[in-house]
Amino acid sequence: MSNRMQVRRALVSLAAAALLIPAAARPPSGAVAAAADSTVTISQGVDPVTMDPLKRTITPTTNAQLNQFDTLLRHDREGHLIPWLATSFQHVAPTVWEFKLRRNVKFWNGDPLTSADVKFSVEKIKDPAEASEETPRVATIDHVETPDPYTVRYVTTKPTATIPGFPWLSMVVDSKYWKEHGDAYEAEHPMGSGPYVFKSWTKDEELDLDANPNYWHGKPAIDHVIFKPIPEAAARVAALRTGETDLIVNVPTQDLPQLENGTNTKLESARSARVLFVAFNTTKPGPQTNKLVRQAFNYAIDVPSIVKNVLGGHGFQVATPLPPGFFGYDPKIPTYHHDLAKAKALLAQAGFPEGKGLELVLQAPVGRYNKDKEIAEALAGQLSETGAKVSTNIQEWTTYVNQTRTRALTPLYELGWGNDSYDADNTLTSLLTSDAPLATWSTPETDKLISDARFELDPGKRQADYAKALSIIHEDAPWLFLFQYEDLYATSKRLIWKARGDELILCDEMKLGG
Amino acid sequence: MAAYLVRRLVGALWVLLGVATTVFIVLHLTGDPAAVMMPLESTADQVAQFRHEEGFDRPLIVQYGSFMWAALHGSFGDSLRHGEPALGLALQRLPASGELALTALTLALLVAIPIGILAAVRRNSLLDLGARVLALLGQSAPVYWLGLMLILIFGVQLGWFPVSGIGGVRHLILPAITLGLFSMAKIMRLTRSAMLDILQSDFLRTARAKGVQPLRLITHHALRNAWIPIVTVIGIELGTLLSQAIITETVFSWPGIGRLAVQAIYDRDYPVVEVVVLIAGASFVLINLAVDLAYAALDPRIRYD
Repeated sequence: MSNRMQVRRALVSLAAAALLIPAAARPPSGAVAAAADSTVTISQGVDPVTMDPLKRTITPTTNAQLNQFDTLLRHDREGHLIPWLATSFQHVAPTVWEFKLRRNVKFWNGDPLTSADVKFSVEKIKDPAEASEETPRVATIDHVETPDPYTVRYVTTKPTATIPGFPWLSMVVDSKYWKEHGDAYEAEHPMGSGPYVFKSWTKDEELDLDANPNYWHGKPAIDHVIFKPIPEAAARVAALRTGETDLIVNVPTQDLPQLENGTNTKLESARSARVLFVAFNTTKPGPQTNKLVRQAFNYAIDVPSIVKNVLGGHGFQVATPLPPGFFGYDPKIPTYHHDLAKAKALLAQAGFPEGKGLELVLQAPVGRYNKDKEIAEALAGQLSETGAKVSTNIQEWTTYVNQTRTRALTPLYELGWGNDSYDADNTLTSLLTSDAPLATWSTPETDKLISDARFELDPGKRQADYAKALSIIHEDAPWLFLFQYEDLYATSKRLIWKARGDELILCDEMKLGG
Repeated sequence: MAAYLVRRLVGALWVLLGVATTVFIVLHLTGDPAAVMMPLESTADQVAQFRHEEGFDRPLIVQYGSFMWAALHGSFGDSLRHGEPALGLALQRLPASGELALTALTLALLVAIPIGILAAVRRNSLLDLGARVLALLGQSAPVYWLGLMLILIFGVQLGWFPVSGIGGVRHLILPAITLGLFSMAKIMRLTRSAMLDILQSDFLRTARAKGVQPLRLITHHALRNAWIPIVTVIGIELGTLLSQAIITETVFSWPGIGRLAVQAIYDRDYPVVEVVVLIAGASFVLINLAVDLAYAALDPRIRYD
């Protein structure tokens, strides 16, 4: 055979192999889903990165894991804490929180779930060698005590009124199994006690879970769950419309009408635990240190118009850093309303008549929050109507986030904050106290109120402290108070599921119908 | 021949060294992975601890030395996001990318070469005009737009093909067309122009005068002489299709190396980006070598002694 013939034959064989062999060897992924009625497919933007529940804090990964692992507590859809693995929890001493564990809970392999597993899980997150992203969640826990197999005590470094350790997100692993198999094995072969049992995971393709028939809370209504990632939003919409998936996240606003009125699709939404704001950096010199300027800017912006025109109406204006439903929220504090004349008057009072001499940059990230760049541009436009010159500086998130931690963004910067503890402490302590790395405004008075509330055990007194702090914050206007997002999902009509504000997708809350 | 191969492989190592160094420097210019990985509320100490555990607090030259030393031993470290070896993550996804790229190239060749030849033979005919329009559209249609259009028409409206994921042959069609259209247009244009040059050459006129049949004239005389530029571009296209399927893989949720690269870049997952770029570089180098060797097989005048 000539060289040329050989080359040609080799090319033809290669092409045929490429076309046929891999394709024929693999069963169509949708076939299983279509055959069984009680299978639900969920499409997030990205695949989980690991099945190890003690390492990462990314929501899509957490969603896959929370269906396999249990937590001590859960939030209901209204944000109230409810018992889960822990049947009760109480503050037994200023630095000690005690959880009583449910008995007869077993991991999928039959190992009993005990206090030793909880202790192991927390200590593994705390271990610096693990380099876990979850470390900040357990930072206030000094150590964990296990007086008996069904009692766990979190001993905190300082007295605290809020439950330490994010027990609604921190998952409990099987310590015996983990010690036997090690981290690398666990990351691909998880052993949980949750409502769904791990079946298989082909990365970037699909994660298959089966209902746990022995689940302590009863076998879930959906027999099989598939997490099938679809990165592109338009492709997620198309996959829902063709029935390839049952639930999609982050629905683009332009697709809402067709999904709302689709023959097989419907919309689900929830008030997000995430608030978007623009902070004034008062730690740096400039006009933003003047309270009158900050108040003027709050009157200059038209938040309802931005929500309507940029977010398609899917957001809720807030008066303070806290949205309704959070502990510490005070409904008596009104929102700033759009009043350009008042804004101009305040600027004149501050020494900037008609905005003369005011040149400010609004820093914002792009691609981090829904419509972050567009919102910043709209705000800059509205602020410029006061006569001030406000421009935007849009940066990629990696560059941007580093500057937030060093308080380098100035004079105004856009940021979002998702507080899934549903308690004022997380937002106010992290963003508006002098010790917080992210805070660019504080006063001794609010520092004291927020600190007092953190360590106050009487809920009534805590609420009063927060109300006073929020009132000062509203008056002093360290932020342009913007809005709370509305999270948008779309599902197939047969799926009965209500969206949650904490972005969690818990499949044991689902049913099929319709 | 053996000496030539050794020379080329040694040269390839230098190329890969250059690629590794470039990607290392560029990646470290793009930002701090600790900033992206750690939650916003992390304290400076926690971020510093993470940096320390991952070795990002060492001088850059030390990090470079350690990266190159590990790379020479076939290790690229663990993915910061996945916590498992970066090389394994990339290799797991390579077959899917290979399957898509080879299918796209095959489809492109099946269309491009016959039409390119016919367009050259029937120059200025309606067929030639149609081929040129097709080439123009193929080279100017944005991949992202094309992918979504195919999804909407053939997936959502007609329901002929699945719109996402990997599976049987039906899953392969739309992404392969999306990925292959640009290459198809390029190869078609090149085939046409290479054939036009050859068809006007003296030796072909002589062959025609000697009474060689038209079909034989094209397949045995013209095409053989046009192969060199065509094979060159096919090689380049295969390398491109393997390493640049980023958009297609993202639009069609194809679990390939391109999609892994996008997420790794977004996460500043240095080890994964480094290994993906090196694999792309290595595939280019090897394909180029294969193309050069194919020259000798296609043209007896070329010898590597």
